[in-house]
Amino acid sequence: MNRPADETAIAVRLRNTADEMPQTRDVGLRERFAARLRDVASRPDQVPIEFDGNKIGARHGGTLLAAALKSRTRLMHLCGARTLCATCRVKVTAGAENLAPMSPLERLSLRYHLSFSSRTRLACQARVVGPVAVESVFPLCGELSE
Amino acid sequence: MATNDRELQQEGSNRDRMANAPACASLAVEESPSLPVDEARLLARLRRGDRDAAGEFYDHYAPRIHRFILRALGGFSSPPDADDLLQDTFLALAEALPFFRGDAALFTFACAIAHRKTMSFLRSSARRARIVSALEPAESTAGAPLSGDATLHRALAALKPQYRELLHLKYVEEATTAEIATIVEATEHAVESKLKRARDALRRKLQERP
Repeated sequence: MNRPADETAIAVRLRNTADEMPQTRDVGLRERFAARLRDVASRPDQVPIEFDGNKIGARHGGTLLAAALKSRTRLMHLCGARTLCATCRVKVTAGAENLAPMSPLERLSLRYHLSFSSRTRLACQARVVGPVAVESVFPLCGELSE
Repeated sequence: MATNDRELQQEGSNRDRMANAPACASLAVEESPSLPVDEARLLARLRRGDRDAAGEFYDHYAPRIHRFILRALGGFSSPPDADDLLQDTFLALAEALPFFRGDAALFTFACAIAHRKTMSFLRSSARRARIVSALEPAESTAGAPLSGDATLHRALAALKPQYRELLHLKYVEEATTAEIATIVEATEHAVESKLKRARDALRRKLQERP
């Protein structure tokens, strides 16, 4: 795509000034980054969580929905974990800080479904990094046929 | 999103017995489909905590992310602030890599974190500056001036931080509109509009006399 001449001139000037920018003086960051990565990789894979009062295990970095399904805890998820239906909504009763931050998509879905509480999360999106207790907003009712 | 379903299947879920859950074919997280092969390998090594991979990643991306942060700060802050933000970005990145789905380039992912850290810093600095200026009038917050193209530096310093970021990503990093949209958490259409406004604002500032 051809750029107008003045746009190209701006691009060249921006690149030139970027080349003149100073380098970071933090020489120890490289090592600290490597150490943090090792620390993250060595964390235990299974995290204890409480789902509707039941104590179950979740994979570190896995979603609440995956943990619920793996432990045969029934939780509605009509859209198949695609953030569309928000039926997998859960209320975090403890350890909210141990869930990965909300993505813009999750926030958008919750707001679309008129859920504005910071303690409400989508189980299909919320990833577990530590112990947490949640209650489902729409638990499945009745028996499912095999 | 769709990736999550495969993840659920991989974890041996009994989702097929759940009500109304559609079967959804998708790609596995570990395969990182949209990443180039080298990046996918690097990502896998980083997730294992490989020291050499960390060094390789740092050497390749730290200077670019540092420049991005410096540009976003736009001369209002000194390099130590940029160093602090770079550290915050890399430590947050180490924590966030297990959650990275591989649906963007590693640089885009790292830059998105740097963007959030920098904007948060600028917001809190602006708040602090307002409090300080209310208590002690007439104290300048400008950092050391940069050498070189002084007119451009002055013009950039007068722009909004978001505009500086967009211009840097577009013309220095040569990121696509989609990549920029991922970094600044906006739609592609919004990015294009803001880029146009940023270019117009920069042109106006360049034409102004000092």
